[in-house]
Amino acid sequence: MKPLRIALTKGRLENDTVALFEKIGFDCSAVRHKGRKLILPVGDNQFEVVLAKAADVITYVEHGVCDLGVVGKDTIMEQGSGFYEVLDLGFGKCKFAVAGPKNRDFFRGYSSKTIATKYPNVARNYFESKAMDIRIIKIEGSVELAPLLGLSDAIVDIVETGSTLKENGLEVIESICDISARLIVNAASLKIRKTEIESLVERMDRAKEENL
Amino acid sequence: MKKYNKVTPEGTRDLLFEECLIRRYVEKTLTNVFSSRGFNEVVTPGMEFYDVFDPDFSGIGQEVMYKMSDHRGRLIVMRPDSTMPIARLTATRLQSLPKPIRLFYTQPIYRNNPALTGRSDETVQTGIELLGADGMRADLEVIVTAIEALSKCVPDFRFELGHAGFFRALAEQLPVSEDLREDIRRAIESKNYASLNLILDGLDESQQVTAMRTLPRLFGGEEVFKRAEPFCSGDQSGRMLEYLHELYNSLSRRGMSDKIIIDLGLVQRNDYYTNIVFSAYVEDCGDAVLLGGRYDNLLGCFDFPMPAIGFAINVDAISKIMLERGKLCTVLPSDVLVHGEAGFEIEALSYASTLIEKGLKCENSIFKTKAEALEYAKTRGIRRVDYIGDSIQIINLA
Repeated sequence: MKPLRIALTKGRLENDTVALFEKIGFDCSAVRHKGRKLILPVGDNQFEVVLAKAADVITYVEHGVCDLGVVGKDTIMEQGSGFYEVLDLGFGKCKFAVAGPKNRDFFRGYSSKTIATKYPNVARNYFESKAMDIRIIKIEGSVELAPLLGLSDAIVDIVETGSTLKENGLEVIESICDISARLIVNAASLKIRKTEIESLVERMDRAKEENL
Repeated sequence: MKKYNKVTPEGTRDLLFEECLIRRYVEKTLTNVFSSRGFNEVVTPGMEFYDVFDPDFSGIGQEVMYKMSDHRGRLIVMRPDSTMPIARLTATRLQSLPKPIRLFYTQPIYRNNPALTGRSDETVQTGIELLGADGMRADLEVIVTAIEALSKCVPDFRFELGHAGFFRALAEQLPVSEDLREDIRRAIESKNYASLNLILDGLDESQQVTAMRTLPRLFGGEEVFKRAEPFCSGDQSGRMLEYLHELYNSLSRRGMSDKIIIDLGLVQRNDYYTNIVFSAYVEDCGDAVLLGGRYDNLLGCFDFPMPAIGFAINVDAISKIMLERGKLCTVLPSDVLVHGEAGFEIEALSYASTLIEKGLKCENSIFKTKAEALEYAKTRGIRRVDYIGDSIQIINLA
């Protein structure tokens, strides 16, 4: 049987997951010294780790070319879900929030508001649930710029410590929800390779509990 | 203005040669199983009124349907599903037919998928519907037909069996609001243990809460029945569990148990299924290749209530898997190229007809000279060229 394939979000989530794997006792030296390789063996070839951007992790798992994936809840909320979300890994914690210029009442007046964001779906769903009509402008880089330049009334973005907001004269208006890294599984993979996947999930769950 | 006359719309594609052969092979193999069990073919229109697929009972979101309007301004959709048109057809034109009615179909469905996800908007499905039949005999017949059909194409599939009513029966006893119940359902559906526990931690511990907590993990082999037993004693859910177990035992008697997974976390999907639901998975394919179940309330939506059960198989997915696995459907060159000399064009065509009657695959040469015809035969791999003139000359190429 082919080794299970796990897609990891490059960067911090990748490092945290590798740490978790090492705690379980999987040999991750190939990932630690990866060079430019993108598919790497873990343990004694039980798994393969694939390194990808967050949104691509979801794409690979949805199509079943990777069996599992580690990705932030933020990306899951933005990209929708056609997979199983089996574990909250507890790291990569932050939150989604609506933020705007300090001391300005965002909700005042009846004109419809403009929101700048990297997460148009999250923003749309959130304001839809509040029955608020808004205009959304998608921004790729530092979203904080948009209200400063007068392009938008507020932003919807990930907030970790809030220091970037503070330094730019912005503040959190409302928190939308908490975010952390999740372990996701392709539905067909879970059915076909149940025992392997369940045992891996269980070991990750146990190692994670010990972390806390 | 930019013209889009050299590409096909996203989500669609041309099928060429081998792809067509394998698709026809799959269609034929599967539908042979259906027709030999007494199912008769129907074809429904590619376009139907939007109302046939009313999202309230179809579970198909309006954003998924390709829409247009007819000359009277009524909303038309490209068929997004085949079961509902067949329910419509049965509830109207087949009212007087003795029950049960066994139908099968092979036709594409159209769904507007999100852009740039690589999903097909046009998918060929083949499937059966057994209408006007209730109970174990009907359920077993349809499941066995599904398993038999798939075995002929992708023998290594896994077949998953659940009950759409199981979650509903358990959740009914939870003292929570409708919204929260839907949140729980969604968490179980996506096996999202984290958010499920978060919701359930907020409720008082009870047998039902424990059941909800366990539900997404209740999948696997026969042991599932034992694990589920404590949560559903005597009531509705208990009867459903018993029924599933009976089905499972019968299927085991046909040696099918190693293929079957019981999943009690297959919560009532947002669609028309009411009782047993099932799906099949194959390695190398991230989506289910078969979906089906019992839909006893659907015909009532067309004012002619009757129980019914059926399934659809994704022909495109099966074809793709078989092609990748090296199932050979080679496009063979013609056996003979027939070249008529000037003035013998019609004789060449009749000569070809006689060869075809003998069972040969015969191409007609449209070239002016023998040399060109010969050259063409060589490049195409045609091993025999027959010249038709005053006499017939047969040339065999190495």
